[in-house]
Amino acid sequence: MSATIIFDDALVADLSQQQPQTPWGRRTSKFRTVVILAILIPAAIVTMLWWFSEIPKPVLMVSIYLPLQIVASVLAAIAVRGTKSAIDAVIIVSAIGATIFSLVVLISVLWSIVTKGMQALSAAFLFQNNEYISPSTPLGYGGLGHAVVGTILIVGISALIAVPLGVMTAIYITEVRGRAVPYVRFFVQAMSGVPSVVAGLFILTTLILTGALNQSAFAAGLAYAILMLPTVARTAEEVLKLVPDELRTGALALGSTRARVVLKVVVPAAKTGMITAAILGVARVVGETAPLLLTALKNDKTVLNPFSDPISALPTYIFDNVAQPYPDAVIRAWGAALTLMVLVAILFTLTRMLSAKRLGK
Amino acid sequence: MSSTETEFRDLQSAATSHRGDRVFNRIITAAAFTALIVLAGITIFLGFQAVPVLQTQGIDFLTTSIWDPPNYGIWGMLYGSLLLSIIALVIAVPTSLLLSVFMVFLAPNSVAKVLTNLVDLMAAIPSVILGLWAFYVLSPVSEQWQALLNQYLGWIPIFQNSSGNFSGTPFTAGFILAIMMIPIVTSVTREVLGRTPPELINAAEALGCSMWTMLRYVALPYGRGGLVGGVMLGLGRALGETIAVFFVLKIVFDPVNYYNIIESGGGSVATLIVSKFGEASGPYETQLLLAAGFFLFMGTLLVNVVANLIVNRTGRLKS
Amino acid sequence: MSTAEFDDVKIEDVQELEKEIAMRGTASATEMEARDVSVWFGKRKVLEGVSIAFPKNTVTALIGPSGCGKSTFIRTLNRLHELIPSAALAGEVLYEGNDIYAPEVDPVHIRLKIGMVFQKPNPFPSMTIRGNVLSGLKLSGLKRSNHDDIVEHTLKAAGLWNEVKDRLNHAAGDLSGGQQQRLVIARALAVNPSVLLMDEPCSALDPGSTLKIEETIRELSSEITIIIVTHNMQQAVRVADNTAFFLSTDGTPGHVIEQGPTTEIFGNPQDQRTLDYVNGRFG
Repeated sequence: MSATIIFDDALVADLSQQQPQTPWGRRTSKFRTVVILAILIPAAIVTMLWWFSEIPKPVLMVSIYLPLQIVASVLAAIAVRGTKSAIDAVIIVSAIGATIFSLVVLISVLWSIVTKGMQALSAAFLFQNNEYISPSTPLGYGGLGHAVVGTILIVGISALIAVPLGVMTAIYITEVRGRAVPYVRFFVQAMSGVPSVVAGLFILTTLILTGALNQSAFAAGLAYAILMLPTVARTAEEVLKLVPDELRTGALALGSTRARVVLKVVVPAAKTGMITAAILGVARVVGETAPLLLTALKNDKTVLNPFSDPISALPTYIFDNVAQPYPDAVIRAWGAALTLMVLVAILFTLTRMLSAKRLGK
Repeated sequence: MSSTETEFRDLQSAATSHRGDRVFNRIITAAAFTALIVLAGITIFLGFQAVPVLQTQGIDFLTTSIWDPPNYGIWGMLYGSLLLSIIALVIAVPTSLLLSVFMVFLAPNSVAKVLTNLVDLMAAIPSVILGLWAFYVLSPVSEQWQALLNQYLGWIPIFQNSSGNFSGTPFTAGFILAIMMIPIVTSVTREVLGRTPPELINAAEALGCSMWTMLRYVALPYGRGGLVGGVMLGLGRALGETIAVFFVLKIVFDPVNYYNIIESGGGSVATLIVSKFGEASGPYETQLLLAAGFFLFMGTLLVNVVANLIVNRTGRLKS
Repeated sequence: MSTAEFDDVKIEDVQELEKEIAMRGTASATEMEARDVSVWFGKRKVLEGVSIAFPKNTVTALIGPSGCGKSTFIRTLNRLHELIPSAALAGEVLYEGNDIYAPEVDPVHIRLKIGMVFQKPNPFPSMTIRGNVLSGLKLSGLKRSNHDDIVEHTLKAAGLWNEVKDRLNHAAGDLSGGQQQRLVIARALAVNPSVLLMDEPCSALDPGSTLKIEETIRELSSEITIIIVTHNMQQAVRVADNTAFFLSTDGTPGHVIEQGPTTEIFGNPQDQRTLDYVNGRFG
């Protein structure tokens, strides 16, 4: 290269009538053929077996189709890219397989709940209670109204206890920033691992067996609160951390006390996040059954007094109707599962909407 | 009395005095120790119940497997919880890893976002509903599978079944635990794999890596701590799970089912507590269940603490 | 009449220029060549009509202010560009006369032949020094038996051998930034590439380390073709045989303003903007 070359801008602009392309997406015809064969051959074999053999369908898909598809993909990968890409083919097919497996499980659960649960739904089912109803009573009489009331009561009590404590724990970690922060955080994490049955046992042994409380909505609410607190605290902590420091220093600079800054500036700024934390806490406990079996027992009547009597909730209503020899009782269980799942889905959607709103800002 | 009121009013009116701040700090600090108080309370009160049980039953309470007055031992339940967790891990860990590989490295962004939401939804399904599903939908399918496993792989000891009864097996119970673990483990592994620094992925790509070698030599070693921690968090959940297992596992004390995972009968401490609580004949049996709860709590606490230490050491993960 | 003469001269000029471009494409001395390469991210065009030839065993520096597309350009040369989801490209990149974007070409093969060193030292933190040098073999699945020789040879070539020969099994993270960057060079060399792309390899390093890396570049250039992106004009003068000046003005796509022997670009630039840039008047 001896001469210096100068490019004229105008000339360059004029010459380039190029269109953006993605040449790495172009495939040779060999590649295309091999890929199509690797998909079609296993699919064809399995379709034949699906229609013309006695092999149970799930067995066919998992123990014949999956291995067949892996082998076909490995052969295809070797043919196109060489032996080095054989493992990649296995990983890709297995990863897609694992994804489909998880989706099938999720869809199967949701599908069962919806189709079976719908059979139970009626005004009577949603609003009546279980008094004078036995497992053999036909559908159309009795319902889970008392359990809905029970769930609202118990979850409400636990939220009244756990949300303030959880938020205050988060405030300690992000705002007060005392010396014990790492320990508090560690204890909250450890608390999130307390099995729900142990939370129930704890309330049972400290408050019920000692005679301080009946098995009641309040006792169950305390057990739920143990499970709810770590979820609220951890979510609230994440949310408070997102509040910009300028807000705090700004308010402090105006002569506010720390307490006022936290209560009037930081917490309101993180309001939607706090609501999210509360909802996540509720969603965490709303389906818990084991603590209720120990601390709330069951009751076929509608109970409104949180201290007086044992009380049923949605999870215990499901629990009582599972494995009954009466089909209508089982349908009731599915109906209660649908009701509970709708509740969970509403909470789930609310948190998504709230966090979308937060991110939108 | 009156001074507290004054301080309270100070806080309300947010006077510039620091007294309000001191009270505020004290209230918040007290609240922050709820977690410690509860943990200590559980340890002390359940431990308090475990002492007389150990005094009357001796170490046999932990090493024998019997539930026959006046002799009680929960070894079979302790071992059973472990066996179920191992089955759950064997199914859930590869599935979760592959699922997160799909979401992080294979799927387009939009698909990955939808999958993330679906996995979160899966985590939100209450365990009692999964138990219901396991009893009516999974169990029949699972029995079919186990019969086939026994028919073709029966020569492997773990797939032996002499009774011909494939219901209430550790396999089915472990499977439903796996389904509960998958969303928990996946949400951690997905985040860990997603945090592989782009410059390392770039370096690996520039050295002609394949997907497998990139995972094997770069992404997995980089996220090792987080991955192990995520798996252990899932394990902690599996050990403490009660209701889903209750519906699909037949509780058997003697003989202890050590490895015949498709043979009817097994154990789980958490499920034992719920299943025996209703029929507890007196304060002593309730005390036995409280003692069992104490050892369950100690086990899950240990797993969780170790899991969190590992996860924290490798960088904080958002919940 | 005089106008016609003038026109003739201009046409001759253009023809000569075309011939020169054509010659560079076919000459055996040319190892790599970009022909009319344009690059997009989504709808945004970031690079337009870049044509540069890289003769075998020379060092070519790509200079220009930040944001002019130099780094994007070298990522098109070893097909790393396509890993960005919204990326698009037009034009051709030839390696030994063949288009590296042809459908039958395996990108892994290209990336092994055309190695790369990045701006920030990025050794694999979970591997030892030795493991890092050999990581390319593992990652690409190449089988070589003489691992010890490869480690010694490449670390010597990267000028790092004497500093690390006694602690090959230590974690790579223990090394200083400059040492890490030389380790990364050794890692790239271990798979035996014939071209080495360097994306501002010294921008994160201290002057001492920079000098060592420049020495390494000069030594390597006798057996390997090097293409280096740099912000540092003294560095271009010190290491590069040829230089290309990229510029992107007012949000227009980056393109090559002027290219040629480094001495010409710095000593006798033909374009006013090149003159301004190499004299430090902007950028």
